[in-house]
Amino acid sequence: MPDLDRMVKRQQVLADFGELALCSLDLDRILAEACRLVGDALGTGRAKLLEILHAEGQLLVRAGVGWDPGIVGRLRMPMEEHSSETFAIAAGEPVISRDIGKEDRFDVPPFMREAGVVALVNVPIFLPGGRAFGLLQVDDTRPRDFGEDEIQFLRTYANILGPVIDRLLLARTLQSTEERFRLMVESALDYAIFLADPQDRITDWLPGAQAVFGWTAEEVGGQPAAITFTPEDRASGQDRWETETARKEGVAPNIRWHIRKDGSRVFIEGSTRALRDPDGTLMGFLKIGQDVTARRDGEERLRESEERFRQFSEASSDLIWVRNAGSMELEYLSPAFETIYGGSREAVLKGGTVQRWAELVHPEDRERALSMIYRVRAGERVMNAFRIIRPSDGETRWIENTDFPLFDNKGRVQRIAGLAKDVTEARMSSARLQVLVEELQHRSRNLIGVITSVASRTLGEEGGAADFQARLQALSRAQGLLSQFGSDTAEVGALVRGELEAHTEVRPPKVAVSGPRVLLTARQVQNFSLALHELTTNAVKYGALRDEAGQLSVTWAVDWDEKGQRRLTLDWIESGVDLQPDRITRRGYGRQLIEKALAYALRARTEFVLGEDGVRCRIQLPLE
Amino acid sequence: MSNAAGPLAGRRILVVEDEYFIAEAMEEWLIGAGVEVVGPVPGVEQALRLIGEPGKVLDGAVLDVNLGRGETAYAIADRLNERGVPYLFATGDVRITDAPEHRRRLRLEKPLTRQQLIRQVERLLAGSPGHSD
Repeated sequence: MPDLDRMVKRQQVLADFGELALCSLDLDRILAEACRLVGDALGTGRAKLLEILHAEGQLLVRAGVGWDPGIVGRLRMPMEEHSSETFAIAAGEPVISRDIGKEDRFDVPPFMREAGVVALVNVPIFLPGGRAFGLLQVDDTRPRDFGEDEIQFLRTYANILGPVIDRLLLARTLQSTEERFRLMVESALDYAIFLADPQDRITDWLPGAQAVFGWTAEEVGGQPAAITFTPEDRASGQDRWETETARKEGVAPNIRWHIRKDGSRVFIEGSTRALRDPDGTLMGFLKIGQDVTARRDGEERLRESEERFRQFSEASSDLIWVRNAGSMELEYLSPAFETIYGGSREAVLKGGTVQRWAELVHPEDRERALSMIYRVRAGERVMNAFRIIRPSDGETRWIENTDFPLFDNKGRVQRIAGLAKDVTEARMSSARLQVLVEELQHRSRNLIGVITSVASRTLGEEGGAADFQARLQALSRAQGLLSQFGSDTAEVGALVRGELEAHTEVRPPKVAVSGPRVLLTARQVQNFSLALHELTTNAVKYGALRDEAGQLSVTWAVDWDEKGQRRLTLDWIESGVDLQPDRITRRGYGRQLIEKALAYALRARTEFVLGEDGVRCRIQLPLE
Repeated sequence: MSNAAGPLAGRRILVVEDEYFIAEAMEEWLIGAGVEVVGPVPGVEQALRLIGEPGKVLDGAVLDVNLGRGETAYAIADRLNERGVPYLFATGDVRITDAPEHRRRLRLEKPLTRQQLIRQVERLLAGSPGHSD
């Protein structure tokens, strides 16, 4: 072939290759074509491209022509120090072996010898920046020389190949990055992601947006992004506010209820971001948001539940407390603590150890109260009562506690809790009640004894039954007055009037009653009222109350006896009575009652005198 | 009414009872059984004075526990214990708040009847030798 023809043909090869490299992005195809063109151009029919696998320290037969398909794309050989390939890369320029049989600079891989290769040229391919990509290898089965023009052709060819390979590798990396990014975005179904143009019309609607909002990309393409807003937010211009903010600030929060295709609502937490090209022109908006409706509902329910508990426990007059079973620290203490324990709730909560609480408990009850707490921690329910010394006023108060363990879902005691109430008043009133019951027993048994005694003395006498009945009624009136006053005392005036009114009309000038308010105790009342009864019945039968003529004056005052003891002095004075000495002077049972019973039981002093026109009786009764 | 030949004849029994009518009834019943009643008295102070009377030995005592105004008969019981005088409690209270040595004593539930009183006093004295007159 004449030189000119060869030159033209080789220029043609370079031009064809350049064209292919421009329009194809398929690296393998380009490399295969490169080998074919080189084999043709040099008339060997054999060429191959070896790629350096840097990580493995190997060479891969990446493409080839005139070689067995079992070799191309498959064969790998170690990058040995003494190989022709290593030598060529190190040399940085084509290395020619006219006859490998005579080669003493390097070794030739065995598979090439086996294929009958005799002559070869190794042309290194460098990527822009100087990194070696591999080698272009042209082989011949006959010994041959490679002319200078051929070498220059191969160099040119390798110099073109470098940038082409680089561009394709880069494109492939970019493509895979982009692919990865797309896959990521499309699989983020929990996130609604979409793009809108500068007029906020939807342009890209990713699968996550469809999953969250329900519309397909076809349905929303070109629609205003505001269709995802609730009518009330649209009415108040929230959609415009968001894009305006993003436009001005770069990004705007998007945290609000949105609306789905089916009209239901979804709570989104996310943002709207303005997209700008490098020169700052607004390209549109990127909206990314997460559907947090379920979480929000859960939070809302939790908040409501907490609110309910708080309202309940804060309104309760009983103290409610919760401790962590592990640390035994207080987790909750209701405000009733301040009323019941009389201390600051915050102060106790801050260092809420059991010890701190135990310090408030009465020393005698402390150990028992503590042991109860630990029984609860062991899983038991307990009720106990103990005393505390209330710090606010130093008072001893009775506390009744109902304590119980709270279990986690594995059945372990996670918390311990309890209800406490101040039962001091209840305990005191129950103790009072007990005393009252005992007193009532005592009194009623005594009363029966009194009645028995009075009966035995009265019933034998003339008219005894009527007298006995009257005495019983007097006792009954006295008891009635005691319970009526409620305080277990009765007032002298009430006793006097009660007795007189049972027999006559209490009205001056016939009957005059006056005196200050004086209270007598239960034990005084019984005997005192019986004495009054005897005086009254005596007056009715023989004295001032027998007929119209007589008058009765009952007066009393409080004074002091010679020992300084406070006493009641009551004067019973009858006047205008036509005395019938034979009847009134006898010392009847009634008079005995007046004179003896009061003296005996109440240490009273009585003077009973029959004056000229009626009875005069003075009763002086020490007051308790 | 007096029973000069009965087991209680001539025995000196102290009666402490704050309620006049009951004291009066007890006195009458005991006298009927031949007892020489010491008292009755309504309170601790008078009772202690009677116990302390020189040369006058008591054979026994009937004590109301609750003497009113917060006073109880335990101080009297203690004095009687010291002197080896047997006694019994007559009480209307349900709850026994007595010290153990008092709890073992014979007792009489109020309201009393004549028969109960005489029988219990007889039992009381049966456990101890009567003094000789």
